[in-house]
Amino acid sequence: MAISFKRLKKSILETGPLILLFYICISEFHTQFYYWKIFSFNLQFIIIYYWVLRDPGILGYGFVFLSGLTNDVVLSLPLGTSALCYLFVSLIAAYVKNATLRSSLFTDWFTFVIAILVGNFLYFFLMNKFAGAQVEYMSVFYNSFFTFIFYPFFWVLFEFYKKFVIVRSND
Amino acid sequence: MSTSRDDFGIAIRSALLQRGAKQKFSLFVLILLSLSIFVLDISGLKPIKILRSLLNDGVYRISVISSSPIKFSGTVKDFFITHIFVYKENRELKTELERLKNKDFQTLYLQTANKRLQDIIQLEKKSAFTTIAAKVILDKNSPYLSSVIINKGSNSRIKLGMPVLSEGNLVGRVVEVNFLSARILLLNDLNSKIPVMISPKGSQAILSGDGEDKPKLEYLPEEFELNDKNLVFTSGKDGIFFEGIPVGNIIFEDNKIKVKLFSDPNQVSFVNVVLDKSSDAEAM
Repeated sequence: MAISFKRLKKSILETGPLILLFYICISEFHTQFYYWKIFSFNLQFIIIYYWVLRDPGILGYGFVFLSGLTNDVVLSLPLGTSALCYLFVSLIAAYVKNATLRSSLFTDWFTFVIAILVGNFLYFFLMNKFAGAQVEYMSVFYNSFFTFIFYPFFWVLFEFYKKFVIVRSND
Repeated sequence: MSTSRDDFGIAIRSALLQRGAKQKFSLFVLILLSLSIFVLDISGLKPIKILRSLLNDGVYRISVISSSPIKFSGTVKDFFITHIFVYKENRELKTELERLKNKDFQTLYLQTANKRLQDIIQLEKKSAFTTIAAKVILDKNSPYLSSVIINKGSNSRIKLGMPVLSEGNLVGRVVEVNFLSARILLLNDLNSKIPVMISPKGSQAILSGDGEDKPKLEYLPEEFELNDKNLVFTSGKDGIFFEGIPVGNIIFEDNKIKVKLFSDPNQVSFVNVVLDKSSDAEAM
């Protein structure tokens, strides 16, 4: 009984980042968290990049794909747009994981720049060239900038979650 | 040099094709799948449209439900603050006062809601257009999108491109129709372009959203003279909108000619979708 409760607790805690990712996609965090005409950031990118890089077992690629589709439906984007962006962010995170031996906040943060640029470039390119929608370059730039700025804060937060919540539940 | 290129190739191949214990799909397969879905969706295939419509209905409903914990937590917080901490002393008297206040607010709220609903019904009766009233269930304001979701869809005969009014004034048009819901692209959205006519001279222009509250006017005639009496109406030149729907009045702001909309797009809670083009044309 105690073991099964422990397992349940562990699996719930491990699905925390996944639940957060889907909740953000459904609740339109990206659109609701938008102030002063410039301040918005892409928390999905941060979650995906961090967890694929630091603990790929927590966030499966299949779920990343599904969250992208959900985001597309919620924001009325052509299906597959966000999924592609998220998967490319995952690809860069997976590449960095394979290519580096020891990662730290600073290595993660600076490689994250490439992930943001690729992800947002894909979004901008697909929307402007294929979907026929007009996306303002500066909005995407500000979004990328603030996403980059906020990464260390969430890095620390997720490290804490990983060390003190997930690891403790494994003890 | 070649060794580092080999390392890069190995790391990329490994990232694309690797499947761990918890990774059921490789990134390569999922990227291909996303690309295929994207191509099918932009090519406008009917099965994908139906799938999207079903997904939309489901996700919008979940979206409303998923925002309920935040609302509920606010209610719970208010409850505790009100009843445990603030109203600790003199509980009975203040509870009574609170009850009366709540009742008063509720009456006031009901009166306001009643008035608004009556206005909408009156508008439906008086309007030259055949309209259907709908409630805004989700409001989306983002760097990329200014749109609202309403609780009526193709089940209420709503179709793509239909104009949408708020208190008799144009606020947007239908850009997505699902069975139980529809998306309205508001006039201030970046992608909104509406042909308009400016009274009293009947000058033609394009009302173009720029993400701000007040959309701008483009392609005005060179000899256009700005004055206080300039009112903006739809011109119907696009063959989609009906002519003569009031939009707003012209103002000069930030060295641009802008339109102050009669209905503020950020304050829309009930709308009327103009349904019938033929009956409208007759009525006009």
